[in-house]
Amino acid sequence: MEINELADLTLKEALKLGATDVSVICTKTNENLIRFSNNSITVNKNINNLELFLYLAKDKKRIIGTTSNPNIKGIKEFTSNLVKACEALSPSAEYTPLPKIKVQYSSHGIYDEKLVEDGTNLIEFVKEAINAALEAGADRVSGSIMTSKENLVILTSGDVNGQDKKTKILLNVRAFSKEASGQGLSCAARLKDLKPNEAGKEAGEYAKASINPKPWEEGIYDLITLPTVTADIIQHVGSFSSAFAVDSGLSFLADKIGQKVSVDYFTLRDYGVIEGGFGNRRFDDEGFPTRENIIIEKGVLKSYLHNCTTARKFNTSSTGNAGIIDPHPWNLVVDPGSMTLEDMIKEVKKGIMVTNNWYTRFQSLRLGEYSTLPRDATFLIENGVIKYPVRGLRISDSLPRQLANIVAISKERKWIEWWEVSIPTLAPSMLIKDVIITKALG
Amino acid sequence: MDEDLLIFAIDLAQRLGADYAEARLHRTKELGCLLRNGASEPAVIQDAYGIGIRVICSGSLSFSATNDISKKNIESMVENAIKRAKASLPLLKNKVNLSEEKSINADWKAEEKKNIENVGFEDLFSLIKDIDNLIKNGKKDVSFPNRLLSSSTLLEEKIYINTNGTKIKSRVPRVSFSSYITASYQGKITTITIPSGYSQLAGSGGWEVVERLKIFEYVEKEAENLSLAIKSEQNPPKEILDVIVGPQVSGIIAHESAGHPGEADRILGREAAQAGESYLKPNDLGIKIGSEEAYVSDDPTIPHSNGFYLYDDEGVFARKRKLIEAGVIREFLHNRATAYEFNTSSNGSSRASSYDREPIVRMANTFVEPGDYSLDELFEDVNLGVYIKSFMEWNIDDKRLNQRYVGLEAYLIEKGEIKGMVKNPVLEITTPKLWNSVDARGKDIDFVGATCGKGDPMQGIPVWTGGPNMRLRSIRLGAR
Repeated sequence: MEINELADLTLKEALKLGATDVSVICTKTNENLIRFSNNSITVNKNINNLELFLYLAKDKKRIIGTTSNPNIKGIKEFTSNLVKACEALSPSAEYTPLPKIKVQYSSHGIYDEKLVEDGTNLIEFVKEAINAALEAGADRVSGSIMTSKENLVILTSGDVNGQDKKTKILLNVRAFSKEASGQGLSCAARLKDLKPNEAGKEAGEYAKASINPKPWEEGIYDLITLPTVTADIIQHVGSFSSAFAVDSGLSFLADKIGQKVSVDYFTLRDYGVIEGGFGNRRFDDEGFPTRENIIIEKGVLKSYLHNCTTARKFNTSSTGNAGIIDPHPWNLVVDPGSMTLEDMIKEVKKGIMVTNNWYTRFQSLRLGEYSTLPRDATFLIENGVIKYPVRGLRISDSLPRQLANIVAISKERKWIEWWEVSIPTLAPSMLIKDVIITKALG
Repeated sequence: MDEDLLIFAIDLAQRLGADYAEARLHRTKELGCLLRNGASEPAVIQDAYGIGIRVICSGSLSFSATNDISKKNIESMVENAIKRAKASLPLLKNKVNLSEEKSINADWKAEEKKNIENVGFEDLFSLIKDIDNLIKNGKKDVSFPNRLLSSSTLLEEKIYINTNGTKIKSRVPRVSFSSYITASYQGKITTITIPSGYSQLAGSGGWEVVERLKIFEYVEKEAENLSLAIKSEQNPPKEILDVIVGPQVSGIIAHESAGHPGEADRILGREAAQAGESYLKPNDLGIKIGSEEAYVSDDPTIPHSNGFYLYDDEGVFARKRKLIEAGVIREFLHNRATAYEFNTSSNGSSRASSYDREPIVRMANTFVEPGDYSLDELFEDVNLGVYIKSFMEWNIDDKRLNQRYVGLEAYLIEKGEIKGMVKNPVLEITTPKLWNSVDARGKDIDFVGATCGKGDPMQGIPVWTGGPNMRLRSIRLGAR
């Protein structure tokens, strides 16, 4: 059965069994992934899935189910079981009807047929990336390349009938030169935008440039975050802007609508659909149309991200970001600034430039206190000049402080998604003043 | 689960030229409930069932997975897997070979007294509503204006076969509880989790797990303890002192700075671009990394544990692994591919979180081994110290050398006695310094559940982290 037929059958079955609110999303995905390490392919993968997501409500009782075995018999059984399980629940004070919008969505068209099914041509890109990294000075190269193709349909009891499809290709290259390492990424919605040579070269050059790190002292530094690091910071800000997180006391953005949370030249948006984005969706999980939302405008917190339930609670309307339980961003975009990276470096008297990071963890989600580890190439800057590579640093600060301390934003931006950054983010480089950098002194 | 499909898949793979093939039918069915400030969020059922197939052709490995388990689709998947493995050959510099292992025919189950399939949303909601009632009014003048409580059951069933003649059927039910709580005291506000460190109270077994883990007692006591922590304003002393870490902290230390770096796939560089590598090199078995008192093990066979299994996802018998013994690196965690590279046998560390994830080297239940000290004895000859009982923020670099644990419930110790609380002491320390500082371990051991992340695509796998109270000498703490 095709995904639209499966969704149609599920919707009818759920309504027949007395559900008052139904949202069915049926998704077909095909992922190809090649992992490589030590200049050699380690595994070549293909994952093909067909998944059915069903949200339903009956008498203000609510339930969500996903099944990965959608056939006619399986769907009838799954839906019937879900309705029965729903009936046994207690009504929820949080219940909000699904939106009634008679609308037909068609795909946004950011889809590349050239991202072929079997993915065997990806090997050429792997080769190109490895060679570029080796030529740039790496001894050994690791990474992964992934293509994903997703087709989905939505049908809701609120008269929503939509389909959408998207593609993406993500290349992550990590090059090593002696004990030093560098990363290069190339992330795109279309094959033509993939730059394996650039990603490999960048990784190799960073690896080579960060050989022989020198000692440094822990303290307060101005911090330049390159796009991969900015994207990690921003994805957390994006997640903290979920009204569910705010309402659950799990966000430092709570009670700050209309307040200044950053500087005048910082604007953060979320787009349902944007050219170049690979988190694109025309509609959210409730069937509500996605759109551009300004989360922070010129430093002022303008909006949380909402589904219908949180919107009712906050006395506003949905922003098209459902998640039935927790609203989430689709594609985060930081408005560009006016500086080049070179200009930024010149501005710094005593600073650190971080090209990549990982393992961001919070002491308090409500306060936004956190730390994260720079990894790969990291450099000390003195009097406007990159002096030498450094290693073993930790950014130990807080998101509210850092947002308020942004000094400059680059005009160049880059799309980022990789192992550590799961929300597609168009990120610039940023200069943040007075950041606490610690080291293992224990 | 139709075993014939698996036989069909591996037979076909061999006919098409695979030197090795394995197939796994794998179901994970999870029921989850979320209670926010006493009100229920939508209940969730996630049922994932499908097949994962690995083949090796001329040393080239490929993995294919699908939830369309029709024979026709499996046929095309196997063909595709073979095609992919062969396509990789021009860029294959390091061939994948598997260690020789005994073929196994087994059918095993985790112990289950109260069948998890009889547990419904009513039970799961009832559990967290009762817990919410215990804590909703706050503790010790501290209010809890926001409470997000979660309970879940997870049933994992598998059939695995490979072309070495192994066939294994398994069933592991699990129960889990976790929570986020906003604590407020005289205008101060923060978020904590119970258990601390974003972990879970979790174990394998049926609904009896709730009683076994004494979830009600645990949460009520922790809520009280953590209420004390928010009141604390005193920074930890700046001078060199002794630190005693509680079981939750010694557990996360064991996991992060002994378990992960001991994963042989990291040591060989296979995870370099994602989860990272290790400070340990392939020839580092036998090197001294810590004091005579540093002991860390990983054991999947602990009954009722969250990371419980008897055979891994390559069909290898699971056993306890002694990672660090008297400060010496004794053993790495292996799957069959890494075991071959090290000219040894697999110690059964290969796991996959779902049908659509390849089995890779994972920890199970990683812990600091208990010693013979009581808590009082650990305190006794501490002149100046801090007892870090629980934590929130933590992280470690991707070679597992530079780590940080920020205390939540923490106490100042002077002349062997507790002298009030300290606020967020920061233990930021290198791995060798940490393990070399251990001079005593408590005799009682505790575990909490966690979901360990690794792999690409990401795989979250259930584990326990644990340990006793553990004393570290001559440490410098930071403050947040």
